[in-house]
Amino acid sequence: MFALLKLIQSIIKTLHSDGTPGQVAAGMALGAALGLTPLMNVHNLVVFSLIVLLNVSFGGGMLGWALFVPLGFILDPLFHAIGLQLLEAPGLRSLWTGWYNTPLLPYTNFNNTVVLGSVVGWLVLAVPIFFAARWGVARYRATIGARVQQSKFYKAITASKVYNFYRLFRPE
Amino acid sequence: MAVQVFRWKAIGPLLLFLLLLAILLWLFAEPVAKDTSEEVGTELLGTQVDIGKLDIIAKEASVDLSALQIADPFDLNRNLVEASEISLKLNPLALAEKKFVVENFRLSGMRFGTDRKTPAKPVKGDGFAPQALRAVRQWSQQFDVPLLKLTPIDTLKQLVLNPTQLTTIRTAQAVAARADSARGALERSFQQVNIKGTVDSARGMVTRLRALDPKKLGLDGTRQAIEDARATLKQLESAKQRLNALEQQVKGGVGSLTSGLGTLDEARRKDYAFARSLLQLPTFSAPEIGQAFFGKVSIDRFQQALYYTELARHYMPPGLLPKEDPGPERLRASGKTLRFPKERDWPKFLMQAGQLDLAIGGDSPLRGAYEAVVQGLTSDPSLYGQPTVIHTRRTAEGSAIAGIDVDAVIDHVRPDRVRDSAAARLRGVKLPSFTVPGLPFRLNPGTGGANLNFALKGDQIFGRWSIGSNQAGWALDSAGRKLNSLETLVWRVLSGMKELSVDARVSGTVRSPKLAVSSNLDRAIAQRLEAVIGEEVAKAEKMVRAKVDGLVAAKVEPVRRQVAQVRSQAEQRLGLEEKGLDDVEKQLQAEIKRLTAGLAPGIKLPKLGI
Repeated sequence: MFALLKLIQSIIKTLHSDGTPGQVAAGMALGAALGLTPLMNVHNLVVFSLIVLLNVSFGGGMLGWALFVPLGFILDPLFHAIGLQLLEAPGLRSLWTGWYNTPLLPYTNFNNTVVLGSVVGWLVLAVPIFFAARWGVARYRATIGARVQQSKFYKAITASKVYNFYRLFRPE
Repeated sequence: MAVQVFRWKAIGPLLLFLLLLAILLWLFAEPVAKDTSEEVGTELLGTQVDIGKLDIIAKEASVDLSALQIADPFDLNRNLVEASEISLKLNPLALAEKKFVVENFRLSGMRFGTDRKTPAKPVKGDGFAPQALRAVRQWSQQFDVPLLKLTPIDTLKQLVLNPTQLTTIRTAQAVAARADSARGALERSFQQVNIKGTVDSARGMVTRLRALDPKKLGLDGTRQAIEDARATLKQLESAKQRLNALEQQVKGGVGSLTSGLGTLDEARRKDYAFARSLLQLPTFSAPEIGQAFFGKVSIDRFQQALYYTELARHYMPPGLLPKEDPGPERLRASGKTLRFPKERDWPKFLMQAGQLDLAIGGDSPLRGAYEAVVQGLTSDPSLYGQPTVIHTRRTAEGSAIAGIDVDAVIDHVRPDRVRDSAAARLRGVKLPSFTVPGLPFRLNPGTGGANLNFALKGDQIFGRWSIGSNQAGWALDSAGRKLNSLETLVWRVLSGMKELSVDARVSGTVRSPKLAVSSNLDRAIAQRLEAVIGEEVAKAEKMVRAKVDGLVAAKVEPVRRQVAQVRSQAEQRLGLEEKGLDDVEKQLQAEIKRLTAGLAPGIKLPKLGI
């Protein structure tokens, strides 16, 4: 229940943040990586750093993460199949052998079927996610955004202390 | 207004976050590594692995472990091995590639076979080790170890046999079906090779040539006739080759049927044993007595050796092709993790050289200090290029133990030559006591010697376990029950025997192993039993044989005749076809000779080499 409330809070805040729809969408496309791929991996540290450092919506990133976690679990068998196909492809064997025997690269767990498959899946989905999210945020703001902003519910959420911390990463 | 790409003010919090992450990693690295090592060790070995403490010494790229316990997968109340201190020096360059190359390791305070304070948890699941454990347990159950029946025979019982229970009848039906199908297959093969058609066509050619006169035909006509005859000869040659191939096929088919007849004899022996078992006759066959006494305890030893060999084969596969391992346990799907070994690079795991100081303490007669060397223990033997060698020698002196030597070689360097062998020789050790299965006798072998040799070459298994002692003691374990006359007789034989010499051998393939056990006891018991009950048992066995023979003879004899008929018919037909080909070939050769003589009279032509 708490997680659901946090998710709603995140959605509301993000949709009304100062960022442009493009910034929110870029954040969501990056955040999708955290949800679609197994979290405890080096590439997600890089993605998280990008969400923080790039002038994209941090809230959008967190929203993307939250929204794509269930999808990641559902798509795991597909990611495994994609990863296995890629890792077993005879044409790519020399590439994987090279990476496997290069310092530090094996720590990315690229040789795990689910990790590789989900990263590839995310890379493929990132662009559609960006455009779909940008359109969705723009439509929301143009239609019911102003009314929601006047509601008591929205005011209660934005008054929380967590929101103040969130403002630190507000897009400029 | 231009939109900024970077959010510079977030660098501070990000660095703070990374610092926090690093601190957490530093704080929890050791507990996490300890838990992971325990989990991985348990998963790999199929038995509970406990580590008391794990210290990571980052500066020296080394890891120190203490209070390591590895439970015995075959006895959860015991530890297979315990070590108080283990120090592993890792290669930092290999570590950068996420590979664990142990340049050197030292173990101290090592103990074997110690009792556990709490029983280990059995490892469940579908990992390789639990599967292998289940498989070797199943493997050990396939041995038909007889129980020694010591029921007195006062009168011969009536034997009622159901024909459907007899293996011979089932085997005979199978052989008869095979003979029928072989007959049909041979008929079809004869039709396919079509020798008759070729012979008929060649005979037609002979008739045509006989009617020709070279003088009337002229040079071109005669040459054409000779060419036609040669073409027919080639067809005959081709038919001969087909017939030869068919002959091989016939030999194979008939050979298979003949070996099927051989299985009938074997099946009949099984039926004798089955019928005999219904009467519960006591045996006085020395090999059976040996198996009944020491079969189970021998199989236990071989089963353990096979288990560890199977683990070595799985975790140390030969070859340089990518290898699959299960992915890490996590909330998300584990997937598979592939390894991509590369020539002249580090393997995923390698223990280059290790030295062990073993100390066996307490009251054990094995107490003392030992030295052991492990070389080339690796996950990718083809990369390392040399077999793994394990070598243990006892160096302590002044103890009651004469010596312990253990040598093992795991050779998985080449896929076409996978060989594992181990030899353990123990002298002056206290041998474990055990109960004779199905009988109220307990053997305490006392102090003696034990040898275990085990080798697996491909699928071929060779194992030998022997124990010898001159301090054997026997105890009655009848729980108040009075021994019957045969048990009393055997007990008298056993209780007077201080010498013990057991030799168990396992051979054959892993799928179909054979066990042979012999001991000085079985010979002595067999002689005594034969003297007392030999005549009575012989009568009973004669009756058993007659009963089985009476039931199976009517089924077996027709099958033998059927097989003989298939063989003789096939051989006869082959002979006829061969003769037909030879005859027509000779006739053709003669006609060619006649035609060539007419072509150039007086000139002797060389013989045609077709």
